[in-house]
Amino acid sequence: MTDLIVVDRVGKRYQSTSGPVEALRDVSLAVGAGEFCTLIGPSGCGKSTLLGMIGGLVAPDAGRVAVDGRPVTAPDPRRVATVFQDPGLFPWRTTLENVEFGLEVQGVARERRRAVAADLLGPLGLRDFGTKYPRELSGGMRQRVAIGRALAIDTPIVLMDEPFGALDEQTRLLMGEWLLGIWRRTRKTVVFVTHSLHEALALSTRVVVMTARPGRIKSVLELPMAYPRVMESSEMVALRAQLWGEVRDESLRAMGDA
Amino acid sequence: MTVRVLVWRAALLALALAGWEVWARAMNPLLYVPPSAVAPALGRLLALESYPELPASLLLTLREIAVAYAMAIAAGLGCGFALGLNRVVGRAYGPVVGALYAVPAVVWYPSLMLFFGLGAASKIAFGFLLGFFPITLAVLAGIRQVNPHMIAVARAFGARPPVVFVKVMLPAMMFTLVGGLRTGLALTVIGVIVGEVLGSREGMGTLINHAYGLFRTADYVALVLVTLVLVVGSDAVAGLVERRAQRWTE
Repeated sequence: MTDLIVVDRVGKRYQSTSGPVEALRDVSLAVGAGEFCTLIGPSGCGKSTLLGMIGGLVAPDAGRVAVDGRPVTAPDPRRVATVFQDPGLFPWRTTLENVEFGLEVQGVARERRRAVAADLLGPLGLRDFGTKYPRELSGGMRQRVAIGRALAIDTPIVLMDEPFGALDEQTRLLMGEWLLGIWRRTRKTVVFVTHSLHEALALSTRVVVMTARPGRIKSVLELPMAYPRVMESSEMVALRAQLWGEVRDESLRAMGDA
Repeated sequence: MTVRVLVWRAALLALALAGWEVWARAMNPLLYVPPSAVAPALGRLLALESYPELPASLLLTLREIAVAYAMAIAAGLGCGFALGLNRVVGRAYGPVVGALYAVPAVVWYPSLMLFFGLGAASKIAFGFLLGFFPITLAVLAGIRQVNPHMIAVARAFGARPPVVFVKVMLPAMMFTLVGGLRTGLALTVIGVIVGEVLGSREGMGTLINHAYGLFRTADYVALVLVTLVLVVGSDAVAGLVERRAQRWTE
């Protein structure tokens, strides 16, 4: 497997009102083509910052990030699409118009981009909602629109920053299953940020556990088992306990810190 | 609107007119002008008997409003975006705009007459002055309202600043902006007409002053009614535009 994303010893500090905060320190990570790589760790451990660096929205203070062999300096919508926790849909646009936003920015002709968006409605489970506005959709539907907007520009890499974080648990489980189906069909490279052990274990080919602030990589868990995974199997239950052990320590440290 | 609401409104109007009629006759019909005197005066006015120069005056006032409003839009949008999109300029001059807006604008009018004379220019200047501030402030408020996350999303999808401006900022602030444009229009109309009433040789304000000065109170009320239609009409059009923007944004 070739490394599509290479993160090399990056660091990042922010200025906050209570002084400088070190979000990331000396983080290195390589993600191969077709991987589903999940970042998990306590709140404030720099997961989103790391994702922002790969997406070109955050510049590292130290180290470098490369996608497809090129250093990342700005968002590159031909290679990387991003889904945020807050779907960030444009309320004045319908589902179709939101999905085709990225293509519109790229100057794709109106009929072409409308056709791409319309073809996505089926897989998104939004066939009857193409002309609805975000306020008329449920939280899960809105997040699917945001995912559709990312899929429409058909990049090899999709970054997802806690996409299901704001959803209720049942919706969240269903969305995870749905996303797994999409990913297995499209074989995109996904970097996924979550707080959910279940999501990490059910979806990922690899889970990267990050430490409390300043965020560093604590451990990496390879998950070569086939999909769909039976989460109640003894193997998955044991992995869950192991992962929780690692995340729990860091979460406790993060809580003590705060 | 339901029929019931219309009936209630008509009833209130009829009651007010009847009350006014009785009261005016009991007091002094010359000063308090009962509706029965206004109706024929309005007829004579619209038949161009009492003031044959009505169409020309109306046209002049409308032209002054149009010019003043166009200038207020151009300057208001220009200043608003210059102050709102540039942090340094905004910090330096933003508070000045707010402070100037708080000054009762009518204190500027004498100097505008001195600068621009009795003609249309001083009315346009005053209408502009009144319309300019709400538009500028609406742009500033609108820019503050734009959700920074949406701008980040647009950037992530490769939108450059001009594209972000057109596809995210403008639609996101449209509702506030249109509200400001509506307020600006109402104030521009007020500015022009007040300017004419305070001192002019032509326009609706001059006719109103003339009728009032000669105690032709029925004519005076008829002229005010015509002016009222002009103001309410312009505001209704602006309100229609505002509702469209609202439907589009929310």
